Amino acid sequence: MSDFVASSALAESRQAVDRLRAAMQRTIKGKDDVIEQVLVCLVAGGHVLIEDLPGLGKTSLAYALARSMDCAFSRVQFTSDLLPSDVTGVAIYDEREHAFVFKPGPVFANVVLADEINRATPKTQSALLEVMDRARVTVDGVSHAVGAPFMVFATQNPVDYEGTFPLPESQMDRFLMRLHMGYPKAQDELEILRTARTAYDAIAVNAVVTKEEVLKLQSLVAQVFVEDSVLDYILRIVTATRTEAEFKAGVSVRGGLALRTAAQARALMLGRDFVLPQDVRALAVATLTHRLASLRQMSNALEELRAVAAALQRIVANVEYPT
Amino acid sequence: MKLETQQTRTPRRAQLTLEELRQAQWILGGLLILLSGWTVLYLEVNAWILMGLTTIAVGAGLVRPDWPARVPRLVHSLAFPVIVVFFVSDFWLKGEVLPAIVRLDILLLLYRGICYRQRRDDLQVIVLGLFLIVVAGVLTVSPAFAVQIVAFTGCALALLLVITLADGVAMKPAAEAKKSLKGLITWRAPDREQPAWAERLVTTRLLRRCWVVADGRVVALAAVFFTGVVTVSALLFLAIPRFQLDNSLFLEHFIAKKARSGFNDSIKFGEVSEIQQDTSVALSVDVSDPKAVPASPYWRMLVLDEYQDGGFRLSPALSRGAFGPERKEAILLGDARPRSGTPVDWTFYLESGVSRYLPLLGQFQELRFRETQTFRPSMELGVVALRAESATMTAYRVQGMEFSEVLLDAGFAERWRRRTEVGAIAGRAEGALQRRLNLAASDMAVLAQMRDEIARAIPAGSAAPTAVEFGRAASGWLRTQHGYTLTPTIPPGIGDALVRWLKSKEPGHCELFAGSLVLLAREAGFAARVVVGFKGGSWNGYSNNFTVRNSDAHAWAEMWDEARGAWWRVDPLALGLIGAAPGTAGGVSGEAAIAAQVDRSWTARLDSLRVFWYRRIVNFDARSQVETLQAVKTATETTGLRLREALEQALAALKAWLVGPWDFRRAAGVLGSLGLGAILFGAVMVVRRLAFNFRWGQAARKIDPVRREAGRWLERLRQAGDNVAAGSELAAVRADLERLRFGAASSWREPQAVFRRAREAVRMRVRRPITRS
Repeated sequence: MSDFVASSALAESRQAVDRLRAAMQRTIKGKDDVIEQVLVCLVAGGHVLIEDLPGLGKTSLAYALARSMDCAFSRVQFTSDLLPSDVTGVAIYDEREHAFVFKPGPVFANVVLADEINRATPKTQSALLEVMDRARVTVDGVSHAVGAPFMVFATQNPVDYEGTFPLPESQMDRFLMRLHMGYPKAQDELEILRTARTAYDAIAVNAVVTKEEVLKLQSLVAQVFVEDSVLDYILRIVTATRTEAEFKAGVSVRGGLALRTAAQARALMLGRDFVLPQDVRALAVATLTHRLASLRQMSNALEELRAVAAALQRIVANVEYPT
Repeated sequence: MKLETQQTRTPRRAQLTLEELRQAQWILGGLLILLSGWTVLYLEVNAWILMGLTTIAVGAGLVRPDWPARVPRLVHSLAFPVIVVFFVSDFWLKGEVLPAIVRLDILLLLYRGICYRQRRDDLQVIVLGLFLIVVAGVLTVSPAFAVQIVAFTGCALALLLVITLADGVAMKPAAEAKKSLKGLITWRAPDREQPAWAERLVTTRLLRRCWVVADGRVVALAAVFFTGVVTVSALLFLAIPRFQLDNSLFLEHFIAKKARSGFNDSIKFGEVSEIQQDTSVALSVDVSDPKAVPASPYWRMLVLDEYQDGGFRLSPALSRGAFGPERKEAILLGDARPRSGTPVDWTFYLESGVSRYLPLLGQFQELRFRETQTFRPSMELGVVALRAESATMTAYRVQGMEFSEVLLDAGFAERWRRRTEVGAIAGRAEGALQRRLNLAASDMAVLAQMRDEIARAIPAGSAAPTAVEFGRAASGWLRTQHGYTLTPTIPPGIGDALVRWLKSKEPGHCELFAGSLVLLAREAGFAARVVVGFKGGSWNGYSNNFTVRNSDAHAWAEMWDEARGAWWRVDPLALGLIGAAPGTAGGVSGEAAIAAQVDRSWTARLDSLRVFWYRRIVNFDARSQVETLQAVKTATETTGLRLREALEQALAALKAWLVGPWDFRRAAGVLGSLGLGAILFGAVMVVRRLAFNFRWGQAARKIDPVRREAGRWLERLRQAGDNVAAGSELAAVRADLERLRFGAASSWREPQAVFRRAREAVRMRVRRPITRS
């Protein structure tokens, strides 16, 4: 009797993820949980919004990931005067060719770091919509595929909101997860202090997986089996957010799908070809928090984030666990 | 986020934790205390209050193991002096050694039951309990002893095992020292502080843990060994020469036994009837020839000749004259003359507390005790009196016993013949005492009037009625005047109570009837006396013995029949049997009589166990012992031979069948049978599957039953503990279960095999020691 996903493919997937994880852990100290969630996003083909203070390793994280899988990395510093074309690319008239030639923007990479994304205007932010959703850029009616695999690391400062444009909900919904780096532990920070490098591009990381292996991982996610009771579990969590008085609105259908996909990715990473309720429960808060907004007026985004996360944890804890 | 916890520790053989062992130790110790204390139920030592207290205290400790910690320190401080004072005063006031020791033992057990016990305390409990059990067994020779000793042995062995295991697990004496140090500064005694295990003891959970932890093979092996030991012990018990523990240990001499029944030298009216309220077994009789059993046997125990103060008693004169000197022998030769043929053996098992007078049907050739007894026989009265009532069952075998309604008494015949000479000496002679009434003149006048009425009922022509004629007429007259009841009413008034009852029309019981007949007979000039004992009984269809219960207690009269020179039994309440000659209704014996009295009730089943027990522990000679061993040997050999024969026949038949000529029809028959077998097997499997689906409520929950079952096992695994060593069998089982529960059906392994492994894995998992922080 064969497994739902071939045993050999499962084993290879797990080995690839283990190599990737180990490589990143060597670079990013004391952030195993964040690394794990980033890898889930990668395997699920999702994008990450990292919301934290500057200088906590967000860029290093994205860079280490890109380097570990031998992928192109680009960084875009979002500012208020950044134009959409500065991100996606622009068609320029080439006098030698006597034609408009498309000059790819920084999104044409495999791992794109959109630093301080909320400092760009909504118009520029929207330019990321298509590329995040379809991994394609359309300029002058011509569609251009970005790199594969493609993953956006967006960052924003949750405290300093002056002169920023909060991401619209439609934009937030396109991120698979919103993560927090947080301060490292003292022991880990001491280890960081001992290292000589200061810039992220000084990180020496050897590629441990190929792009093809990552793409194969992403292709296997859809084959991971989700039993009805687990789907029902996801649905009940999602439904519960819609009836929760704490929130302005519940999680969208896309949010439910995102949770399912993330759970499938986690199962695959752990060498399973089926999803356990534990996978759903482990990822529910990270996957759904940024899709919810609190009704209460908060002084800053971090506080709101904590309130929403607490309410969501309560909901997940109260939803009956399939046995 | 963390990956699933993985540990490198390899799974180890499951076992109870130290805490659980302590809990089991507490429960087993409590059970031993209860089991030992309950010996009072049949030991008949006055320790009911102590036993009740022990039961309540220890029972409470088993239900709420935290309450011994609430016992004030004062109790423990005063325990030793109080126990010493209790024992000394008990012994000083009552003067009984063994009861005092028994009460002391129970008191010690009670104290141990309200304290948290250390290893030495539990060992003390075993010793104290064993003492009680052995004493009870020796003193009572009760069948309950056999049950109790087996239960006690099993319990004690389990306790010793638990103590050994707990000692093996406990490796941190420092903790004990710390606890003791802490105890010094608390208000409780150091070793009385509530241990941690007591806080968390839930009996049901512990039993469930024991059930899960227990290795089926080990338990089965232990059960086989225990059964084997008990069986071998039973066989040895059957085989070894039997001996008398009570005589060997002299325990019986330390306990004062009081008769439970009213069969004493003096009986007030109503006392025999009181015995009738008790339906317990009083007497079991084995008869070598069941045909010899009379249809309605009268088991004589005591003769009462003197009427005084409203009751009959054995007069001092008769007691002195009729009974011989006290003897200490094992054999008593009787006056009955040997008859042709093999004499019938009657083996009596007289329960304790009935009487010190031995029930007998009549005169006998030989009476043999199983051990030397101190007794006083009276051949004239047909009575044998032990010096003291035995605290245990009394067994004796009587050979050549007669059971007719007449009792020859040559001595009395001679005295009766010379009554005119000796009766003049102020009624001091025995012959006169048999007739004395000690009644007032007015009462005598009433009796005379009644005697005249009875005399008129005697057929004409009998100018001087014989005892038989008068007895029949008086019995008939009494039955016409009075009905029968166990709760009679004596009319108030002046004069003798029995005469007042005679004058009335009130119904009465056997004692009133017998007493009245004796009064009337004596008034008419006949010698008469009251005899008490048992009448009738039932034939136990399971153990083939005669069983007489206390409810069969009876009183009747005996009149002196001058013509036959014998005492003639007159039972005013025995319709149609009065005065019957031997061989008629009164003396009917044999299989027909047994068939009419056979008892096959559940009570008879229990009684048969009692008789079986008595037969095993009583031995008059080695004959029955040899017979039993021969029977065991024969049964074993016969069974083995039959099995062997059956096997050989089956093999021969198979061989003959195989070498027989094969044709198409025969081959088709074989193939058809095999096909039918396969179909049946398939049908069974389908039914099993359907039953499986039904069992797990596929219709109700609309969940695949395999998934449902897998979920149940996962839950059990989770309850047993989440830490799973990577690469272990348990991890593999959990992965398979998760696949069955949440994986695609196409990827399932064989579910039943996974469930079997899960069952074993859970058992192994639960046995893993749990370390508490």
